[in-house]
Amino acid sequence: MTTEIFVLATLVEVLLIGGIFLLYPRFARRGLLFGVYVGEQVWAGDEAGRITRGWYTGMVVWIALTVLVSAVLWSALPSVALAPLAPILLVVGFLALYLRAYFQARALAPEGPPPPAAAVLTAPPPANPILPFTSVGFGVACGVAALAYAASHYADLPPMVPTHFGLSGAPDAWRPKSFSTVMLLPLMTLVIGVSLGVIAFLTSRAKRALRYPLTEVSVAAQTRFREAMTRYISAVGMMATLMLTLMAISSIRVALGLERGLSPVAMIIAGVLLVAALAGTVYIGLRYGQGGSRLERAASRAPLTDGLADNRYWVLGMFYVNRDDPAILVEHRFGLGYTINLGNWKAVALFILFIGLLIGITVAALVAG
Amino acid sequence: MDTAVTVLIDWSSAEPVYAQIARQIRSRIASGDLAPGLVLPPVRGLASDLGVNLNTVARAYWLLEEEGFLKIRSRSGAEVTAPLRDADPATVERLRQQLAAALSRMRQAGLTHAEVRQQAEQELAALAGHEPER
Repeated sequence: MTTEIFVLATLVEVLLIGGIFLLYPRFARRGLLFGVYVGEQVWAGDEAGRITRGWYTGMVVWIALTVLVSAVLWSALPSVALAPLAPILLVVGFLALYLRAYFQARALAPEGPPPPAAAVLTAPPPANPILPFTSVGFGVACGVAALAYAASHYADLPPMVPTHFGLSGAPDAWRPKSFSTVMLLPLMTLVIGVSLGVIAFLTSRAKRALRYPLTEVSVAAQTRFREAMTRYISAVGMMATLMLTLMAISSIRVALGLERGLSPVAMIIAGVLLVAALAGTVYIGLRYGQGGSRLERAASRAPLTDGLADNRYWVLGMFYVNRDDPAILVEHRFGLGYTINLGNWKAVALFILFIGLLIGITVAALVAG
Repeated sequence: MDTAVTVLIDWSSAEPVYAQIARQIRSRIASGDLAPGLVLPPVRGLASDLGVNLNTVARAYWLLEEEGFLKIRSRSGAEVTAPLRDADPATVERLRQQLAAALSRMRQAGLTHAEVRQQAEQELAALAGHEPER
């Protein structure tokens, strides 16, 4: 029964995430077509419409195929180990369809001089970063608390400790006690909690890509979008940190025989976190649009400026590389949110540090296990 | 109508980027669009929004501070300064010589006397309505 529930949950997740992918063109700023700046008039033209319809058709077919293939395989081989198959298939299809649309859109890109850069001298300053700072502080506090709890009970732990829990919350895998197996979850709590808080702060200071003229409307839309994303990332970060902290403490208590399974509160928070993350993405996309596209409709015929509109700095429409630009985070051209400026060494260093910590902790745990 | 005060960089222009930034800020201050006391964005924020090197914006701000248009406030940006109450005779003489040089260059570039006067009057008209308090 647990396997069936897990499979069903995975399929629902695929449908939800696939649905968000499907909606990406509706979030995009006018002028940006599948990672390519084609100009505001061409964006509204017949050829662009044909490319977008191809995307919708392709994504619907691919989502259906993913669900069908996964269901057939699971019915033949009912195993939780097959669970990653559906999300992987979905992402592979998404990338393939995106690249097809990207190369079609590239043929519509305008020739000519690079677009001007614009900034508003009277724009409001970035919002008070108290929420991102709170998220970082919360991550530090929870991570330290989880580490302290694990360290203080380390000597009392039995020779074998639980390292994985099933959907019911009961442990289903055990490993010999070691520093890595006991401290992995508390360390991940600290790293993820602090990282998401830092990302929220960087988002609050992310580069604004304006339209010129009509910059007043554009900067207001950009600012509201940036603030919404900051709140979203801070909230998701704190929820994830709380969930991981409860799981870390609960796993120690299970090992000590004080509890039979993971804390029900942690399980509930995990469910709420998943729903909130997905719902938040859809809400921001439909309410604000990428970069505030739905708030800047009054200005959307004015051309985009600077790096977002300059195709020279974008690789496959996904990776922004501009060494002269001091910005760390810039808007995605396709999708929702921000991406790092790979031409800025500070941005690259932060990214490597974050990924390196996560990979390093995980590898250490695997080696120890 | 857009009331935002915007600075725009033309990458194809022969004018250096820092000079474009300084020129636009200077004219906006002189025309009254940027009032005394207003704090312009910090160097990092403006450089990020424009996608230019930090030193480019810093150079523009330093130039304007030297000319008396701005007072740099370290990390929090640069404040627009009010025009001086009394014109310093030495400064007036220096600026008069710069004006004479500019007018001479315009004549040498082929503009007639009337055309030079027209250009000068257009620039003065842009500053109209922004008389410093005395």
